[in-house]
Amino acid sequence: MYALAVGSWFRELSAPAQNLIVAVVVLLAGLIAGAIASVAVRRVLVATGVGDVVEGTPFDRTARRIGSPTVQLLARISGVFVFAVAALYAARTLGLVPEELLIEQIGRFLPRLFVAVFVVLIGLVIADKTELIIDERLRSVKLPEATVVSTLAKVSVLYVAVLVALSQLGVATGALLVLLAAYAFGVFFLGGLAFKDLLASAAAGIYLLLSEPYAIGDEIEIDDRRGIVQEIDVLVTRIENDGEEHVVPNRKVFTEGAMRVRD
Amino acid sequence: MSQLGGLFDDVVSDVDDVFLFSPSGSLYQRSVEADVPTVVVGTDNGVGADRYVELPLEFENVRERVRFGVEGGLDNGFIEEGDQVACALGLFVEDIDTVTRVRAGEFERSGVYQLFVNSRAEPAVIRNVLEVAIELGKKGQKGKRVGALFVVGDAGKVMNSSRPLSYNPFEKSHVHVGDPIVDVMLKEFSRLDGAFVISDAGKIVSAYRYLEPAAEGVDIPKGLGARHMAAGAITRDTNAVAVVLSESDGLVRAFSGGEIILELDPEAY
Repeated sequence: MYALAVGSWFRELSAPAQNLIVAVVVLLAGLIAGAIASVAVRRVLVATGVGDVVEGTPFDRTARRIGSPTVQLLARISGVFVFAVAALYAARTLGLVPEELLIEQIGRFLPRLFVAVFVVLIGLVIADKTELIIDERLRSVKLPEATVVSTLAKVSVLYVAVLVALSQLGVATGALLVLLAAYAFGVFFLGGLAFKDLLASAAAGIYLLLSEPYAIGDEIEIDDRRGIVQEIDVLVTRIENDGEEHVVPNRKVFTEGAMRVRD
Repeated sequence: MSQLGGLFDDVVSDVDDVFLFSPSGSLYQRSVEADVPTVVVGTDNGVGADRYVELPLEFENVRERVRFGVEGGLDNGFIEEGDQVACALGLFVEDIDTVTRVRAGEFERSGVYQLFVNSRAEPAVIRNVLEVAIELGKKGQKGKRVGALFVVGDAGKVMNSSRPLSYNPFEKSHVHVGDPIVDVMLKEFSRLDGAFVISDAGKIVSAYRYLEPAAEGVDIPKGLGARHMAAGAITRDTNAVAVVLSESDGLVRAFSGGEIILELDPEAY
């Protein structure tokens, strides 16, 4: 009954008035949807423990100083985005923006902008977190230069995030991409070259740990070094002989073979 | 109450160094600003002190705690033999509520500090083994006391001076003391006879080991049984450290070089 009455009342109104009402309704719906989206995003982020993970990163601290922790910031941005879309449609209904083409362009651009902003924010948080984790790992190594590693990791993460964001916005990123490829090549190829022995030892070490051809307490000989096995870890085997401890890389076991003394 | 301060001035007058046990950051700051030679003792160096002695355990016994701190200070060269040391520590509460005065070197060097820092095995491994032994001592099995013997470090040599009593349940496993799973396995541990052998890095190498070192000349207090004798003998023959949970009196004892270095009551932790 009410719906019918409202419907007939609506039809009797003039066109501009109809538009105005539609615009107000869309705006209100956008406001509510934005609030719901904001709350939902915040709940999801809190439930998945993102808040605890990002806590302590420099980005989170900056965000807190502005007045909202990272989780709240992300939630607010999603809410504002939903509202912005609603506002755009309301403006179109009212005919405030003259050109239809512009609306379409903005409509297409807005999601991209949103994704770009999100990627940059997430990139910032992940970069900070990476730096923190690496720093913590390296703290036991009392070497001041070790901070270079964490800074490098942070910059790499940020670089990739900015690259993704820029390509979302449609900016030409070809040159940056080439740079990234060169960088990745450098890291993986040269890194692989540098860590070749370590990787080979680790692969052999995993086999040794799984199948245990020799165990702690056995007398063995690897590469002309004979003694009692004191310790086997992923990278090296420690063999002790009359107060001399040989640290033998595990890859030697595969290249030279090992002799186990049975008596 | 200001005259009370005068009464107890004797305790802290002419001390050479101050040992703060697990101090708060502000207290440490004040002591640095007052230009007092300060040594911080604690399970972690939260205040970032330069002169720091790490406690491997939160010793419940105040004598043990002070003794460990002072021995650590001596070994690190922070203080010298004969120095007067004021120790500030928490006896009843977490915060510092007690000040005591000792002369460094006053009591016989027990080697508690050496046990942790200068053993073959890493300090954290020895601490973890002690914790396992204490936990086992507290729980027992079905309310009954159990005994256990852990030989830590120099595992290759220990394995060669012992023989298996049964199949080794830890063969081809990679369990380290300090892994969360060890807490779950505690009850199983109490059923196994013989000694546990643990490597320098904390890997549990074997259980069911029958130690056969030469026991001649090992001097341990009368009344302690075969388990302690074996522990004393194996630590004299090898560079290992042994941690024993006594079945008869329920105490945890640590052996190094054939002698008892540390005695703890699990009930106090």
